Amino acid sequence: MTAPSHAAEELGRLRRMRLASIAEGCTLLVLVFVAVPLKHLGGHPIATAIMGPVHGMAFLLYVWTLIQTVSGADFSGTDVVRMVVAAFIPFGGFVSARALRRRQALLTSA
Amino acid sequence: MLVYLWLKAIHIAAAMTWISGIVVAGLAVASGPARTDIAAAQDMRKLDAIRRWDRRVTLPAMLMVWALGLTMAMQAGWFSAPWLMIKLAIVAALAALHGVLSGRLHRLDRDGAPLPAALIYAAPATILGVALIAILAVTKPF
Repeated sequence: MTAPSHAAEELGRLRRMRLASIAEGCTLLVLVFVAVPLKHLGGHPIATAIMGPVHGMAFLLYVWTLIQTVSGADFSGTDVVRMVVAAFIPFGGFVSARALRRRQALLTSA
Repeated sequence: MLVYLWLKAIHIAAAMTWISGIVVAGLAVASGPARTDIAAAQDMRKLDAIRRWDRRVTLPAMLMVWALGLTMAMQAGWFSAPWLMIKLAIVAALAALHGVLSGRLHRLDRDGAPLPAALIYAAPATILGVALIAILAVTKPF
């Protein structure tokens, strides 16, 4: 296997990790800023009943993809901790996605 | 009841697909690529096929297992049952193991990084985990 195909593979993995970060970030925002207020202020518990499991699956996919990505590439411990913490904070998923895009750009320019 | 049976049937089919994928990935990672050029080329083709299978079949099967399993547990009100908590812990460990193996599949042919000793036993550990899950799910002992 040649070096360019390794780079293409790694780029593909980083792209999937970035998509998982964005999905996790979006579902967390909808859950916290739309579904929870709808439940507690609007009296519509169906909003959290739908968004809770949707975010749960997005979170699961994010954690799994993170484990896969760090097992298949060289990430520093700090980067890993940052991405784990980001999953629990609103907008954190987007911060991770930005860091991953920078890593993608570095790989592309190398 | 009919819906539950359908959920259960698809859950079991997805679980079998997921587990078989982990075992294949575990065996591939434990055996590693061949050293000679001709054998290495053959191994690379097999490795590519395993990676594709992992991405297109095993990962979706895992997501389906989680989604259907949690749906069934919510419907049946099992979340207070200790057997389910133990089962969930084993499933989470299997998911983490699958993630590690999936990542390792991608660096097998690259840097020759030493394989963590524990990953040699990934396939038998998976089978042991599945046996425990089957016992817990069928007998629901506590």
